[in-house]
Amino acid sequence: MEKVIDINYFELFTGYALMLIPVLALWYYKTGLVKDTLIATARMTVQLLLVGLYLEYIFKLNSIAVNIGWVVLMTVIASYTIVNRSNLKFKLFFIPVVLSGIISIAITDAYFLGFVVKLDNVFDARYFIPVTGMLLGNTIKNVVIALDAFYKRIDDEETYYRWHLANGATKKEALLPFMRDALRVAFNPMIATTAIMGLISLPGMMTGQILGGSNPNIAVKYQIMLLITIFSSAVLNVVLTIFFSNKFAFDAYDNLRKDIFRK
Amino acid sequence: MHALQIYIKNLMHANYFSLFLFFSGIIIFLCTHTDIIMIEISHLNLNFKNEIIFDNFSLLINKGEKVAVIGESGKGKTTFLNLLAGFIPDYSGNVSIFGHELNAENISEIRKHNAWLPQDISLSVKTVRELFFEPFEFTLNRDLKPSSESVSQIFSEFDLSENLLNKKTNEISGGQKQRIILASCLLLKKPLLLVDEPTSALDEKIKQKITDYILKQKKLTVIAATHDDYWIKSSDKVIEL
Repeated sequence: MEKVIDINYFELFTGYALMLIPVLALWYYKTGLVKDTLIATARMTVQLLLVGLYLEYIFKLNSIAVNIGWVVLMTVIASYTIVNRSNLKFKLFFIPVVLSGIISIAITDAYFLGFVVKLDNVFDARYFIPVTGMLLGNTIKNVVIALDAFYKRIDDEETYYRWHLANGATKKEALLPFMRDALRVAFNPMIATTAIMGLISLPGMMTGQILGGSNPNIAVKYQIMLLITIFSSAVLNVVLTIFFSNKFAFDAYDNLRKDIFRK
Repeated sequence: MHALQIYIKNLMHANYFSLFLFFSGIIIFLCTHTDIIMIEISHLNLNFKNEIIFDNFSLLINKGEKVAVIGESGKGKTTFLNLLAGFIPDYSGNVSIFGHELNAENISEIRKHNAWLPQDISLSVKTVRELFFEPFEFTLNRDLKPSSESVSQIFSEFDLSENLLNKKTNEISGGQKQRIILASCLLLKKPLLLVDEPTSALDEKIKQKITDYILKQKKLTVIAATHDDYWIKSSDKVIEL
């Protein structure tokens, strides 16, 4: 195995110069996203450096309770990010998003780690935490897009939704075209990326494993399985989030509540 | 009170045949009377967007009646139709449709008997065929899917070419879209049709043809919010808001 070239902290710092490109572009086009970009970059740096420190500790500890607690905490933070990024009210959507996150992670993690990788202990910190992190990290964008697309389109095309309801559709039937569109909008880019994987882009995890000295063959197999797991976890998460939030986003007459949106 | 006492006394002395006739009369009266009512509204109070739309409003609409709801813009014509379709839950008073009180419990049952045509449907681009047949995909309406003959017939009545079915919804005019959705609603064969400005995007000749076609459906109760003089003249009842 070849020696891995470490990046020292000075080199890491010089790497940040690349951020000038997005920051200047976002500033020039007056997107109002410069502050958010800087905060996000700072958060990412601090969080990852801290993760490096406490993952080392958690891996050594490897307690099932701590690992599960850690994953639940990650899901709560991911759900917080999802609802904050969406145009929907936090107090209404936070719980359904957390619930959907936990269920989808539990199902896909159990299948991948227990059935495919066949770990003796599916809660082994070295697998359970990074895999769940990958699943959550890759799901956030899809859930935000799907949630926003679903509820915004019902609001924009309310007469169309009502036309269904008033002409004999059940609520589920009336919502079907909106669900279909939300899934299309959220997953079309993921399908496109999956289709060109390996041709144009080399996925981050696989690259990381190879850079870390792993056999490319093993790295590829893990990457394939992770992409599939991420895809199913994301779809499950979106479907469950919409399913749970449906229960309160409509009034007793099946009309969309207007107070679910942030002003 | 005295009269009631005499009446009960007489009733007690009446023979069984008279009693049979008396109660049969009451039952027949109730059956025939309640059976002809489609919509009963009493003491309706409704505020919408901080404006009083209805203040102690009462109305009776019989089955098969053709009702034109008229009034200036903003007076609540669309709101009235939306109320009957269950889209405005915050009202006080009594509204009963097909004998069911309009409330959250009964709304699904009431909607099973409705067809509703809004003034304009904002929708994503799809084919006209998908739009036209969409209501027949619902479980409730699957058995009502029209035959190609029925589609041809109604398209001909509405001066529509069947080639339109292959176009996209953004390739047809507002008037064509309105007629296509109206035709789809009529083929659902529901007893109550709620229509909002059904002829607003149509020219005079087609307007009259479509008005005649809809208003000649004897069993169909039609409530239309409209500004159209010909529709108003052809209706059985006019409600001014």
